Amino acid sequence: MTRHIQRPSLSRRAVLRGGVAFGGAALLAQLGAGRAFAAEPEKPAELIVRAWGGSWVDALKAGVSDPFTAATGITIRHDLTEDNEIQPKIWAAAEQKRVPPIHINWDTTTNATKSALRGVAEDLSDLSNLAGTTDLAKPVGLEGYPIVNTYGYVYVLAYRPEAFPDGAPKSWKDLLDPKFKGRIALYNDGIGFHFPAQVAGGGKLEDIPANMDACWAFVEQMKAQEPLLGEDPDFTTWFQNGEIDAACTISTNAREARKNGVNIAWTVPEEGCKFDTDGLWIPVGLPENELYWAKQYINFALTKDAQQVWLDGLGLPGVVPGLTPPADLVDDASYPTKPADFEHLIRISAQVQVENESEWFAKFKAIMQG
Amino acid sequence: MRPSRAEYPYRWRLMDRLEAAADRLFPRRWSRWTGWLMLAPALLLVAVLLIGLVQIADASLHTLDRKTFRTSAAYSLDNYRAALDQGVYLAVLWRSVLGAAIVTLLTLLLAFPYGYVMVRTRSSNLRKLLLIALFLPFFIGQVVRAYGWLIILGNGGLVNDLLGLVGVPPQRLLFNYPAVLFGLVQYMLPFAVLMLAPALTAIPEETEAAAGSLGANWLRTLWHVVLPMARPGLVGAGLVVVSLTLTDFAMPAILGGGGQDFIANAIYDQFFRTSDQGLGAALTLLLVGIGSLVVGAVFTAFGAGTLAMGRART
Repeated sequence: MTRHIQRPSLSRRAVLRGGVAFGGAALLAQLGAGRAFAAEPEKPAELIVRAWGGSWVDALKAGVSDPFTAATGITIRHDLTEDNEIQPKIWAAAEQKRVPPIHINWDTTTNATKSALRGVAEDLSDLSNLAGTTDLAKPVGLEGYPIVNTYGYVYVLAYRPEAFPDGAPKSWKDLLDPKFKGRIALYNDGIGFHFPAQVAGGGKLEDIPANMDACWAFVEQMKAQEPLLGEDPDFTTWFQNGEIDAACTISTNAREARKNGVNIAWTVPEEGCKFDTDGLWIPVGLPENELYWAKQYINFALTKDAQQVWLDGLGLPGVVPGLTPPADLVDDASYPTKPADFEHLIRISAQVQVENESEWFAKFKAIMQG
Repeated sequence: MRPSRAEYPYRWRLMDRLEAAADRLFPRRWSRWTGWLMLAPALLLVAVLLIGLVQIADASLHTLDRKTFRTSAAYSLDNYRAALDQGVYLAVLWRSVLGAAIVTLLTLLLAFPYGYVMVRTRSSNLRKLLLIALFLPFFIGQVVRAYGWLIILGNGGLVNDLLGLVGVPPQRLLFNYPAVLFGLVQYMLPFAVLMLAPALTAIPEETEAAAGSLGANWLRTLWHVVLPMARPGLVGAGLVVVSLTLTDFAMPAILGGGGQDFIANAIYDQFFRTSDQGLGAALTLLLVGIGSLVVGAVFTAFGAGTLAMGRART
């Protein structure tokens, strides 16, 4: 498959675009990325970035895509195909030596690790801005940088304050109160809940993945509460419609629901919450020039200015030091910045997660579908 | 002498040319193959589906290596063992089969009177109303309809509002097995009525009148005359409903609240969540096998109904 190449023309629009590009290039030079564009290959007309919809893509557009377009003149198209559904398409393209359907995949680190293990991700070790990132940017258990983690997030316990008149729930066990029967929501694959459940069930994190009996015992107890099982958009809808009182969900979704007027709060209970990362990666099989510019996009996403705007939108901590938390998240447990903030957050390597995901998934389903 | 234009119009000449061209492309001596030629596109389509099925069968015999996320080169039945050993898949299979049976029964019970009134009514306005009510849902996709039920049956929905008027506290009407079955019956009803209507139309009204004149009340007429004569339609409608229900994805996903998966949901999970295409393929073939068994059993017991294009099994 060939892609359209941007051709210069002397139209008024082109002159204006050139002005914007010039201004953007000046901005990039200020950010230290100017050298990267010194010997630039031919620019593609557009780059396709897979993204999650709603506030997620809005934040990416404002923080990374639009400034990148202004700097380079390359249009960014956001493909909102689900991350799980784009994966087999990318794998098939790589298998058949075809050009992949997207240039950059914004993905969970767990999902991206599968692609990296399969060998369908380009190495990104040569990105100049990696030097200025924290350890969080490096994928754990993989050689080089087939993925660059771009921020972290917490699977918090989100709740309706009216349902907890005595204050925020202190433990995940508080959800076992009979009054919450049918009023709790979890992710339908159990993601985010396994590790705190291991602690709440009396087990140890060190035993993951060898012995997770405590986790499954607690999931069994939770099953008796008849929880709803869904995806990110379901949680927001269920909170808005008054279907649930509490959920284990990513803090971004809870924050978005609050922005939409839902009275919702969140907390990190004493057993802790799962901390994970998302990242950007590039599938193999792109033409050289498109690969170059796709890398520049990711490099640009690692600049302080891009991270600040992007992650302000998401309400998540980035991988560049010195970012300012959004005003509503200063000292919030879902926005860890200092080592002490991580004490109650549980981080398990993506490699352990991908190697055991199917087994955990089947076990969780067996309990919940039984 | 050449025939005049009036005697031999141009369009006849055009037809002659076309016929000659067709004869050159497909000579008359090949005419015994004409039927096969017309069948060829459909056969080609079926062949493509079969090739896909063979590939799925091949994929089901390779296991996933989670160190490399590639499938093994060796052939094995491990995916089938995993599918049959893990209780969750058997539970989901059973739920799908039971759901298909219940939905088919309920749908036929509702579709029969609907179709009967639609066909027999003397009022053209009523017939139009029933037809519009029947076809309107076709313009609304399954997913949109399911979301409609979320709004109507939700805690703050219309039904709970009405219950509230008589002092009943909000009831959880969604996210359970009955909600999934309810959504499926509502979705399948138009399909069943459309399959039944031609069979009901084919029953002469005089036959029912004759039964009545011989002393049969409406119940005996229904039992001994209408239902037996409508059997091809009932069988055809039942086959369509049972097949569509068995393979449904959206209603269990949306109205089931994540805890009432059908087998199609489990297949999706394997292909797109755990990336285990081998296990997903094994579950797919199990579904195809169960669906074929059900349809085969119905064919054996009752014939193909209207799907046999009017040739009733004797």
